[in-house]
Amino acid sequence: MRWHSRPMDIAVVDSVSSPPSVISATAVSKSWGSHSVFTDLTVEVPRGVTGLLGSNGSGKTTLLGMLLGLHHPDGGDLRILGEDPAHAGPELRQHIGYSPEHHDLPDDVAAQDLVRHIAQIHGLPRREATTRSSDALWLVGLGEERARPVGTMSTGQRQRVKLAQAIAHGPSIILLDEPTDGLDPVQRDDMLALIRRIGTEFEIDVLLSSHLLEEVERIADNVVIVADGTVRAAGPISELRSGRGGVIVQVADRSAELASALRSSGLEIDEQRDRILVGTTEAAEDLVDAIRDAVAAVQAPLRRLYPVEQSLEELFLTEVHDA
Amino acid sequence: MTASTPHPSSDAEIFDRGYRSYDGPRNGVGTGMFSVFVASVQRALGLRRKFRFKIVPVATIFIAYVPALVFMGLAVLLPAEIADELVADYASYFGLLSIAVILFTAFVVPEVLSTDRTSGLFGMYMASPLNRGHYLVAKFGSLVSLMFLVTLFPVLFLLVGYMVNDIGPDGLIDTIEVVGKIMLSGLIMSVFFALLGMAASTLTTRKGFASAGIVMLLIGSGVMSGVLVESGDAPAWVALFNLGGLPFDVITRVFDASIDQIEGVGTFASVGAWAGVCAVCVAIVVFGYRRLEVTK
Repeated sequence: MRWHSRPMDIAVVDSVSSPPSVISATAVSKSWGSHSVFTDLTVEVPRGVTGLLGSNGSGKTTLLGMLLGLHHPDGGDLRILGEDPAHAGPELRQHIGYSPEHHDLPDDVAAQDLVRHIAQIHGLPRREATTRSSDALWLVGLGEERARPVGTMSTGQRQRVKLAQAIAHGPSIILLDEPTDGLDPVQRDDMLALIRRIGTEFEIDVLLSSHLLEEVERIADNVVIVADGTVRAAGPISELRSGRGGVIVQVADRSAELASALRSSGLEIDEQRDRILVGTTEAAEDLVDAIRDAVAAVQAPLRRLYPVEQSLEELFLTEVHDA
Repeated sequence: MTASTPHPSSDAEIFDRGYRSYDGPRNGVGTGMFSVFVASVQRALGLRRKFRFKIVPVATIFIAYVPALVFMGLAVLLPAEIADELVADYASYFGLLSIAVILFTAFVVPEVLSTDRTSGLFGMYMASPLNRGHYLVAKFGSLVSLMFLVTLFPVLFLLVGYMVNDIGPDGLIDTIEVVGKIMLSGLIMSVFFALLGMAASTLTTRKGFASAGIVMLLIGSGVMSGVLVESGDAPAWVALFNLGGLPFDVITRVFDASIDQIEGVGTFASVGAWAGVCAVCVAIVVFGYRRLEVTK
């Protein structure tokens, strides 16, 4: 895992000697009645944009609820910004922005009034709340529409109002529950670009839940995959992707000789139509030298030699379905 | 300020004013509660909302002040001795406010409480620094203040009118006593109906159901206890089950207005019944909101 060295800048966190991760869970369990959502959730979420992936009903919303202190874990230790959300005072949640999954918002309240109200509740003085709610609505592209009642807005606009109210009070971290739900492809692109910008340019840490792999793959630095009550995989996307999959070698001729040479040097190979997949599970770096030597040995005309980049989807399917 | 890339599907450009994080001092929970208080009062009165949302609260408040205006008119037109006999005293004016108070409880309280649950705003409040307790206290405060508009303020208005027409209390001590009694009475009435409305609104998320329930409870309990008492078989304290009239009975005891009091019931029983109903309502609200899950 990659840790960011940037110091945390809020008082809540200073008191606990700058933890390396914004969210950490150790053996967290939670059940609703007899239905067990999490049995053993252990994960460290570093700074940056993190995607929380899981199929519907895997407990993503429950986890966000626990991070907000709305639900208490049955066991284990859960921390956000270094504090236990179930027992922390209101100061902790002043630094957390939240955008719920549902699209229900007060129908006859103007977007600007709603965003300002939420900002004031998070401790901003009225004047600051007014200017920042206006800025946030401009940022999400609703500047011209800010006086419109939320009830007259489309789903895409409501999603943007929800994002605006999550960031208007200047939080350290925002939790976004399915922020692209109900958006058309163009709106989705805009929303993802905006979230990426919030996470990088504005330096607000983002945890967004999604059941869509492709969008997490596009904007997140890190990913946490939850399934069957536990974390199936977690880490920087680049590591998760490249850490497995092996190397593909393609030669113009003498493919069979190369295959037997590779096999005799103890590598696991998979002969496909015109290419050979070497080392289906090992990391790519270690394999390349061995393959180069084998290619030289059989004097095969090399066409291509490249590591397999496993897509997040393959990873997800492997992790969730092998469970 | 820079203009960002044009939207691919239209000529519109997103005008980007950037983003500033906030590192300044933050207000505590108290200010957040005050913000909920203000938002609730605005919502109830239809401020910053369309005209149709203003009709019910304005009409109700109007109903509460019209009799006061009439009595003041009488006081102006008629000689003081006659007017003094004819116009309502402060205790009975609280009685005259019943219709306005019932309407206000039925239509304004559910608007303030139930809509947060259907609009998802309650969930957003719970994700904020506020907790259930903060939220309910802020809501209760806003409802009692709103209730003052149809309980305390009309009577204070009447008092000012009477004083201008020289049929009010004489001297400073007298005035202070009357004002004190009016304020206490306003509080008795406001707290009672605010809690009653909150309890009804806790039990259902549908505003319509809550409104109908409140009207039926207030009128139904009045009719039932009235019939029972009239029939002569029931003991006198059954009259206390007239929920719409109960706070008024307590108020008559504040003003020592024995004529309007329920016969055969002591002050202790009357105040006890008032406190009991309030306690039951608090229990319903607290229990209901403690059980309320914020899942999304």
